[in-house]
Formats: sequence, C-alpha cells, structure tokens
Amino acid sequence: MSGSSEPEGRPAGLHVDEIVQAEQVVGETALGDKAGTGARGRRGALTTAAWVTPGALWLLFFVFAPVMMIVLVSFWTRTVSGFDPIWTLENYDFLFSSNVYWDQLWNSFWHSLVIVVLALVLGFPVAYFLAICVTSLRYQIALFIVALAPFWTSYLIRAVAWIPMMGRQGALNTALLELGVIGEPLDVLLFSDFAVTVAMLQLYILFMVAPIFFMLAQIDRSSLEAARDLGANAFQSFREVILPQSAPGIVIGSIFVFILTMGEFATVRIIGGGTVSSVGTIVQTQVASVQFPQAAASAVFLVLAMIVGVFVLLRFSNLREEL
Amino acid sequence: MPEEQTLIEEESAAGASPPPPTGAGLELRGLTKRFGEDLAAVDDIDLHIAHGEYVVLLGPSGCGKTTTLRMIGGHEEPTSGDILLDGESLLGLPPDKRPTTTVFQHFALFPHRTVLENVEFGPKMRGIPKEERREKARTALDMVGLRAMADRKPSALSGGQQQRVALARVLVMEPKALLLDEPLGDLDRLLRLRMRVELRALQRQLGLMFIHVTHDQEEALSVGDRIVVMHEGRIEQVADPYTISNTPDNVEVATFMGDNNIFEGTIARRDGDGISVESGETEIRGHAPGVDTEVGQPTVVSIRASAVQVEQGAAASGPNEILAEIDVVEYLGDLVKLHVSAGGRRLVAKVAGDRYPEFRNTEGSSVRLSWKEEDVRLLRA
Repeated sequence: MSGSSEPEGRPAGLHVDEIVQAEQVVGETALGDKAGTGARGRRGALTTAAWVTPGALWLLFFVFAPVMMIVLVSFWTRTVSGFDPIWTLENYDFLFSSNVYWDQLWNSFWHSLVIVVLALVLGFPVAYFLAICVTSLRYQIALFIVALAPFWTSYLIRAVAWIPMMGRQGALNTALLELGVIGEPLDVLLFSDFAVTVAMLQLYILFMVAPIFFMLAQIDRSSLEAARDLGANAFQSFREVILPQSAPGIVIGSIFVFILTMGEFATVRIIGGGTVSSVGTIVQTQVASVQFPQAAASAVFLVLAMIVGVFVLLRFSNLREEL
Repeated sequence: MPEEQTLIEEESAAGASPPPPTGAGLELRGLTKRFGEDLAAVDDIDLHIAHGEYVVLLGPSGCGKTTTLRMIGGHEEPTSGDILLDGESLLGLPPDKRPTTTVFQHFALFPHRTVLENVEFGPKMRGIPKEERREKARTALDMVGLRAMADRKPSALSGGQQQRVALARVLVMEPKALLLDEPLGDLDRLLRLRMRVELRALQRQLGLMFIHVTHDQEEALSVGDRIVVMHEGRIEQVADPYTISNTPDNVEVATFMGDNNIFEGTIARRDGDGISVESGETEIRGHAPGVDTEVGQPTVVSIRASAVQVEQGAAASGPNEILAEIDVVEYLGDLVKLHVSAGGRRLVAKVAGDRYPEFRNTEGSSVRLSWKEEDVRLLRA
C-alpha cells in the first residue's frame, strides 16, 4: 500500500477496496498457518482429547452410569429385600397394564409445561428489571442477592412454609376473611393442584430468572439506543433486539424448570397432601415399598418424557426470527 | 477534489461569514443540560450548522460534546433551550422520530444479526418491504465496500469492518444529519488515520451534514469544515481548522489544541497596533489590531511551537528572544519536538525532522528561542 508513505500526494477518495483486500490477505495467512502440517494436526487432536476428557468422565459417572443403572434394574426381578439380576419384562407388563401411570405421566408433563410458562411470564419481567432497568452494577448485584434470599434456607423449609400461608387458618385465608372478600375459608388454597402449582412456581422461578438475567445483562445498552435511533419504537426494540438475544436464557431456564418440576415429589407430598399425585410420587411410593425394579421402569419413562420435553423446548432456540 | 490550498481558502471564507440565524440547517439555541442541581454538562450553547457541512465538536472528556450530540439525536433531553432542524423544533421527539441517525462509539451493532440484517434494520422498522430494503442495504454495503461480508455476523469482522457496517447502517436511513460519537475511538491508529480520510470523502460525496464528536485535535483538523472547541459545557471557539490551529481565541483553545507556548504578562507599551508584553524577564512584541488594551493590564499571549526558531549557542538579547535549556528531544519523523524550560516556564518548539542530528543527545544544553512579531497572538483571558 504505497498510499501510506505519502498521504498528501494522494487524491482523497475511498480506499475501501485496498483495505478489504489487505484484510483478506491477513485472513488467508492465518488460515494457512492453522492448517499446518500433519504432525501439528495430530498434536491438535491430542490437545482436543485432553480438553474433552474431564467433561466426558463427568458425564459418564454422573449422568450416563446412573441412567444405565436404572434401565438395567428395570429389567431385573424383584425380591423381598430388593432385586436379583435375572432378566424379566414383568415390570413393564405391569406398567402397561395400568392407565394410572400413563395418566399421571401425561398430567405431570402438562403441569410442568404450565409451570414453565408461568415462570417465564412472571420471571422475565424480574430479569428484565434487574438487567435493563437497574443501571448501577452495585444495585444489580445487591438486588440479585436479595432475589436469591429464599435459597438461603433449605428446600423443605421453603415448601413447608406454604402451609401456614395457605392453610384453612392460614395467613391468606385470614386476610381475605378480614377484608370481607370471602365468607368462609377457601379450601382450594392448600392440598390442591393450585397450591402445588403456586409452591413450585415459588421454588423454581429463580432457575428461570437467573439464566435470562445473565443473557440480558450481556446486551450492549448502546445497541438498544442504536435500535431506537434507527427508528424502532420501544416495543420493536424489545422484540427485535432484546428478545432474540435473551432467547438462549429463556430456553435454558425453561429446561431447568421443566426438568425440576417434572420429577418433583416432595412438594407434591407436602403441599398437595394426599390429594395430589405425580409421576414422582408414584416412583417414590414404589421405592418406599421396596419395589426397586418397578420404580426403575416407571423412572425410565419419566426420563424419556423429560427428554421429549427438552427437545420440544430446544426447538424454540432454533426459531430464527422471521425476516 | 480541490487542491489543499483552495480548500483552506474556501473554509476560511465559510468560517468568516456569520451563519444565517434561522431557516435551513440545524440550530442549537441556548441549549443547556444539567445533571443534578448545579452541574451543567452543556451550558447555554448557540450554534448553527448548515446542510452539507462537516462540523466537529472537539474538547477534552467531560466538556459536554457527547451530551450535545446525544441531545441532537434525542438520547438526552435538554434542561432548557431548543434544537431546530430546518426551522422545526426536535424537542420532545424520541430518537426514532428524528431525521438524525447516530454512529455510536463502540459501533453498537446487533450481535445476533448478520451484516445485511444489521443494515436493513432501519428500513425494516420503517415498514419497507423485504426486497426493497435488502436492495437498499446492499447498496449501502457497496458504499462502504462490504457487500461480500453481507452474510457474516459482526463478531466475524475486524474493527474497521464493524465500523463500516455501523456507517452503512445509518447511511441506509438517508438521514438529514449524521451524528458520529467518537466514531474512530475503537480503532487502532493506522486504521483511524485511514478511516478519517474515508469519512471526509464520504461526506463530500454525499453532501450530508456530519456532526462528529472527538477529543483528538488532529482528527478534528483533518475532517472538519468547522471545528467547535468546547470546554466545561461552553463553546470556546468556532472556526475553520486553519484558524483554530493558527489563531486560537483564548487560553482554553490554545492549551487544548496543544503545541502553543503561553505567556502571561502585562502590557508594557502600546504603539498603534503594536504591543509589547512583559512576561518575567522576557519582552514579547506583537500586533493586536483592533484589540482594546491598556498599558499595565494583565494579558496572555501565545506562540505556536512551529513558529519558534531554535538556535544553539546564540545569546538572547532583544525582544522576542529567550534562552532555554533543552529537557527532552522528541523525534517524530517529519519533525523534532524540543521540550525546553526557561525560568521555570515549560515551552515547546518544533523544528524540521532533518535537523534531528543537530539536536540528538543535546538534553541539558542551552538554546535560544526566537519568533516573529506576526506570530504572537493575543488571547482572551
């Protein structure tokens, strides 16, 4: 580029072509280096293996092995004290002979999706407020810690805490009676589907808020200004700039909430009393009565249902904005 | 393109004639922005910018230049004053309703969209049909030489290319005024030097009003038809680059533009247009036609570093001469910058680069500085 040595002597004009060419040359050189020789390629493969191994081992021990164990046990024979490794299809026969399990699986599936949607509708504004409306990083962190406060106590305490809140003599009923909104205490507030939904929402909504918050917090504020500057109104800049960039957070949060609520049994037991059941409570009942192979067979289909749900949710992240 | 000389003359003429008070162009009237009670970021500024003019708002950080630009773009509401474009007030209009667009300092591209999708964003928001806006976007990308990169994501581009996408994205909007907020701040030096020439050429080609904010003096001189020097929320001087560089109005401008030697003193004698200023041991003689001064009055004069002659081993006897000791010799290729001190005063002189051998390793030695009467500039305090 001779121009750089004598800038004054040169007629002013767009030098774009030259610059683009120069940048392409740089790019090609870098590519050439990367291709390298065969020896370098082999070393690259070893390096890759070294990076992948810890994660692969982790998955093997904590995900793959337990799931395989469940699948194996589901094909084994029940004994009085546990199971023997004798192959049988008896557990599945039993599972397919009853509608109770399948109705319950279907119910839990939908119930979890409803909670995912509610968590998204109620959680997104919280994440949006924390990440976009609060401009000072200090307040952001402080408010996020406040939002995490329920996690400072144990899960069971948080679940049990709903009983004095929602019970017949509970805070909510008392308040509604005092205000004259209702004449008699509402029974639907506790030991009902409604109660289980509210409690699960409270227990798991942060798993939705956190990933969305982290995605929103990464959005460059000046890109929001740029959107406004380029003619987008407030709603358009939300739809075109904020929503697409928070989509991965929404999907990750939805998967968290879906998986966690789908297998739930403790909250259902505590808040639902005896009136509400789920796949989780069925499996738990079977475990409690030492029917391990039967519980394993029930769990296999629970896991399969979860996998289906996750695939459904993942489809949303591939939804490219229609242009 | 006109020759450099005619260009300067044109600009001098443009700077000399006062802008029309109303009508076409952008007008800032008593524009003020206060953050909190008493902190005025922008303090009662008046400015007129014509269509097709390239104006640079120049000043140190915190001088109010970016706030001014943001108020024009609608990203900041003025506390008081008015902004008129072609006689109509822009106040109260959100950014999306203003015929201005901004190139942001860090480009502010949409990371989730391709280059083409970034550029077509504005037309899309205006409801222009897909094929038409794609064609517009491709034309804008041609203008900045990036059509080949249309399907890449911004993260796959170099800084210079991202800057071009940001430019294409605002050009496609066909704004009445293009606002550039430190547009070259994120680029490395070589690219910055090249891009500023491109910006200038692009502005000439389009004949569009460009308002460019920078803290870089050289960049301002390079691109601007007119330069607005700002300091603490106020306009210190508005003039063409040649005037700003050679005849700064006041101490703030002279200091900020750099390479000016500033002497404080009192007027010792006045003889027609000729004045004599006593500054310590030094007598400075110059001309101040039409300036109302009295003998004994404190005053400030400045002498450009490049107007200072340097001689080694000479004695200083007369007026406009001073003996100094060399502190640092700074070789800058085309020129040599000599940082010297004289009687506790720090001064700077620029001599041609080919004199470097003469000054190499002369730190600590004594030199005589001198200058001509016509290079002495009386400043407003």
